[in-house]
Amino acid sequence: MVRLITHNLLACHAKNCNTNNFPLQLKDVQVEQREAEFNPDFLRGFMPRIEWKALVEAAKQVGDTSLPLEQPEMLDDEFLKQLHHVLLEIHIDEGALVCPNCGHVYPIMNGIPNMLLAENEIG
Amino acid sequence: MLDQYLFIFAQAHEDFRIPELRSIAELHQFPIKIPEDIDVKRPFAVLGLEKEEHARILARRCILVKHVYEFYASATSYEELHEKNRALHARWDKYAADTSFKFFVAGFNQSIPQRRQKDVVESFSYMDFQGKIDMKNPELIMGCFEEYYDKQGTMRHKHEGDGNFREVFFGRLIEDGSARSLVQKFDVKKRAYYGNTSMEAEISLLMVNQTLASPGKVVYDPFIGTGSMAYTTAHFGAFVFGSDIDGRQMRGKENQPGIMRAAAQYGVAERILDLGTFDVTHHPWRCGGFLDAIITDPPYGVRAGAKRLGRRETPRSLRRPISAPSTPRPDDQPYIPPMKLYELSALATDLVLLARYLLRPGGRLVFFLPTVTDEYQEVDIQTMTCEGMELVANSLQDFGVWGRRLVTIRKTTSQDYPPPAFDTAAAPSDDVDGAHVPAHRHFRQKYFQKFRSPTEGDEEGSQRSLSEAIEQVAEDNNLP
Repeated sequence: MVRLITHNLLACHAKNCNTNNFPLQLKDVQVEQREAEFNPDFLRGFMPRIEWKALVEAAKQVGDTSLPLEQPEMLDDEFLKQLHHVLLEIHIDEGALVCPNCGHVYPIMNGIPNMLLAENEIG
Repeated sequence: MLDQYLFIFAQAHEDFRIPELRSIAELHQFPIKIPEDIDVKRPFAVLGLEKEEHARILARRCILVKHVYEFYASATSYEELHEKNRALHARWDKYAADTSFKFFVAGFNQSIPQRRQKDVVESFSYMDFQGKIDMKNPELIMGCFEEYYDKQGTMRHKHEGDGNFREVFFGRLIEDGSARSLVQKFDVKKRAYYGNTSMEAEISLLMVNQTLASPGKVVYDPFIGTGSMAYTTAHFGAFVFGSDIDGRQMRGKENQPGIMRAAAQYGVAERILDLGTFDVTHHPWRCGGFLDAIITDPPYGVRAGAKRLGRRETPRSLRRPISAPSTPRPDDQPYIPPMKLYELSALATDLVLLARYLLRPGGRLVFFLPTVTDEYQEVDIQTMTCEGMELVANSLQDFGVWGRRLVTIRKTTSQDYPPPAFDTAAAPSDDVDGAHVPAHRHFRQKYFQKFRSPTEGDEEGSQRSLSEAIEQVAEDNNLP
């Protein structure tokens, strides 16, 4: 849990933290790989929502360098399989997500990130 | 030209039948003709479909469909029925020579004595079926159903009134509904993890069908609790995101989160994409437009506290300055921020706006809204919709003085909208003299006042103070 697809969709949402609040940095993460079913249609449909650079960077941090630096235009099966693996099969079970802007630490426990904000961080 | 099919429904959740059929037809992109004057209280309906294959799809996915027959005839007497059926001989001639078959006769609201069942079967002898009669595995099943008026509450002999049916239906079985068995599969009592607010299996299946869940779609439950709808959603192939302000609901007591344990039991763990602890009014989603559906049973504030981050309004003089929590805390527990009540009508309005932001064009929001039966008006649901969001279905589950409505709303716009401000003050103010107040507003107070009108005589004062006291206690024990 906390797969890279989710990491790619989460930003820091503390009060007044509006710039440079994505992607959240991975800190002290424990990673595990678990197989998931391959669905090329889903991947094609989801591609436009992905922040590519953030995904490549996060994959690199957890030791996967299979993705090209630029988002390819041709989505062949080999590429989709790599994307599938990176998005859905890498799980961060422990560690933390840290905002690069305000430094808020969102801890991950048993695969569930705690994204709650403190009283002074809500608008 | 559409052919006619006889649908036989389970006698439950009548109000959900038509929306379910329409949703599954839309999911598989085929037309379905439902008569405008359909009486949903009756368990039989003759619907129009293009082909048999579509009838089979509905039988395999709709929770409330028990059987689908090719419709031959209906009548108020057997003479009439046989006359119509004879005229249709081109339909059944092809089975006459050597197809193994059986006849099935059943009554609704009445049990038909065996002797007369036999008479009914024999009355069809003009069809002259020569094939083998096979009660176990026939190639062909012909069904004859007598529907009687409901005589519940009257004293009578078991077979009294036999033959005085309202209408009789006759047809050829196409397929028995197979989705109903999922109600057993997802039985909450047999689940590895559940809580006191878990949604019953049948309703959670009906909810999922309203979302049009299918492989590769992404569905989100922002008040996931113990995950009841996550399992059924994932069962139909969709990926699930879930969040809750209270992480304990998702986790349970063991290391492996409870939702993941139950998902593993159903073989769908890999489709639970992720869970997160956060307040949906302060959510971390980076962008919108990435979800195919939102499915949720929001907290009504009755069994589960409806909470959001923030402190409840206190007089300025009593306010303490807001500062960052001291870390680490002396008791070494994770910091739990203060939370305040989330009034239901504000929550519902926010939910629709959030859905407009998070859904893809054409995506659906499916959620339950509790309402006070006497106060409910059609307009209550319309007041929640907004530009770009259109009501698709509104089905009541009736509990008497109150009920809950399964509301389905579709995002019709392809325009991007900003995320909602979650500004409760923006909600229309109530207590305007004479104006209708939505039946779900202040549902919590109404529930604890046992739905008595606050103007009911002298009790008013004491009731109000009681409900305030309850609220006070709930807020003082400010647990997430």
